[in-house]
Amino acid sequence: MGGPDVRPVVILADDDEAITSNLAPFLDRAGFTVHVASDGETALELVERLDPDGCVLDVLMPGPDGREVLRRLRRAGRWLPVVLLTQVGESAERAIALDEGADDYLNKPFDPYELLARLRAVLRRARPGRRPLSASPTLRPGDLRMDRISRRAWLRDTELVLTPKAMLLLDYLLTHPDELMTRDRLLEVLWGFDFPVGTRAVDNRIAELRRALGDDPARPEWITTVPGQGYRFVARVDDAR
Amino acid sequence: MTRPTADTLLRVLAPLLGGLALGIVLQATDSRARLYTAASPGLVAAVAGLLATVVVAVVGLARRRAAAAAVAAAATAGEAAVRQVAEEAARDRLRFFMRLDHELKNPLTAIRAGLANIEQAGGLVLASAGTAAALASVSMQADRIARLVSDLRKLADLETQQIETAPVDLTGLLDEVAEAVAEIPAARERIIRVTVPRAPWPLPLVEGDRDLLFIAVQNLVANAIKFSAPGDTVEVRASEDGNALLLEVADTGAGIPADEIGQVWQELARGRAARSLPGTGIGLALVRVIVVRHGGQVAIRSRVGQGTVVSIRLPVPDRARIAPDVAGLRQDRDTPGMAAV
Repeated sequence: MGGPDVRPVVILADDDEAITSNLAPFLDRAGFTVHVASDGETALELVERLDPDGCVLDVLMPGPDGREVLRRLRRAGRWLPVVLLTQVGESAERAIALDEGADDYLNKPFDPYELLARLRAVLRRARPGRRPLSASPTLRPGDLRMDRISRRAWLRDTELVLTPKAMLLLDYLLTHPDELMTRDRLLEVLWGFDFPVGTRAVDNRIAELRRALGDDPARPEWITTVPGQGYRFVARVDDAR
Repeated sequence: MTRPTADTLLRVLAPLLGGLALGIVLQATDSRARLYTAASPGLVAAVAGLLATVVVAVVGLARRRAAAAAVAAAATAGEAAVRQVAEEAARDRLRFFMRLDHELKNPLTAIRAGLANIEQAGGLVLASAGTAAALASVSMQADRIARLVSDLRKLADLETQQIETAPVDLTGLLDEVAEAVAEIPAARERIIRVTVPRAPWPLPLVEGDRDLLFIAVQNLVANAIKFSAPGDTVEVRASEDGNALLLEVADTGAGIPADEIGQVWQELARGRAARSLPGTGIGLALVRVIVVRHGGQVAIRSRVGQGTVVSIRLPVPDRARIAPDVAGLRQDRDTPGMAAV
């Protein structure tokens, strides 16, 4: 991205014209220069030709689908931020989305303002020419080490014993450091859908993580509580060399 | 037998639903045509409402077809065949929900994006009060369909998805539920009592997914509050019963008529009394699926004018059956092979 007055260029790839014809002007008005692709092949060509700042990919498209486009981009060493538009709510699906190196994902039907927020966040976090945290197999915030492929984590030499959901939450927090995560967003990460009331479910998992990390909520080293809003992972995250 | 019918129906309706949805978006968003003022706000809202109604009707139809198939099988075959047909029908229904959900996601995404566009375009469009109200209405209806679709999806997910199994302390969970429901405004006008035994030992732990069990209990208590009146009593009672943990949610509300009680566990079941109240009618179906996935059972008893008791029975794993310090003794006595050790 250039200076603050330069409009970021993004590719919006979705085969449903009803979606692109509504989302493109919305993103345009929000300050992006949008190029629309209606299939995976076109999306890859546009990335090649325009070297955009970011990409929004629908998972279900004719030709190479969103995941395949993402895989090809990453294989070619293109580390531009990618937001996947997913269809399915299953946690396995979400884990895969992040494993494959998407910077973030949203379940359809999403709130367009949420897409805007996610897109801005991934662009802000982008490290030009470098692999995004979300595409790194191993992350090392301080004394913590996470092997994202085997889904195991160690604090110094001790392996953390975590429930699968707490591990998923840790993974999401580590790949989105220093970002305010609302309880609703974390609920969606954990469950793929909004709960009747149980935002407490998020608090419980955060408590589990804090216990495992030995983090004192009053003087947090890893996860801070943002009163009335959510949580933020505050430790500096590096990927393994 | 049920599959072709449900499938054909979906195939016929999907483009129609999509078309309706697109119709709304196009009508509402094409600024060059300046259609926002041309389109009758009432019409736009009605179409969105219609969409929601169609979904409910389609789902209801699918369910009735499945039930009819089961009855037909029962007339001609034995119990095993009936069970097989019932299972097949359940799988069909699941596939159907997943596809319905899938088909509605794109049009809903488009509707939301279209609405956001209009909102963003701002002043000019929203200047007319009628238009603003119509947009708010469409937005609300779109959210309603989205909720319905995601609720159905949730059910389908829960029937198949692997659930976590960790020891769950229901005593703590009930405290949390009590806290959560206290935030429902109507709760202040009910007498809510939670009774959990603590002597001589606390409730045994159950195995399962705490978040899901929370949803189940929370739903039952919220329902009891919803279907009772100011001054009514809502009781949540937990007890140990043999190898199971029994949880009852009772209310002194209006009760459920005899002809409706058989359907309450089905998705989208909405009793006559519920029609005037908000909700998608998914709550009890969700409770049933969660409890069944935990190896438990649900039951409901009700008397019109007196109230309703919903009970959940959850299995208690052997090692958690009694307080830990007693468990050792008990194991020595009850397990002959272990007694000598």
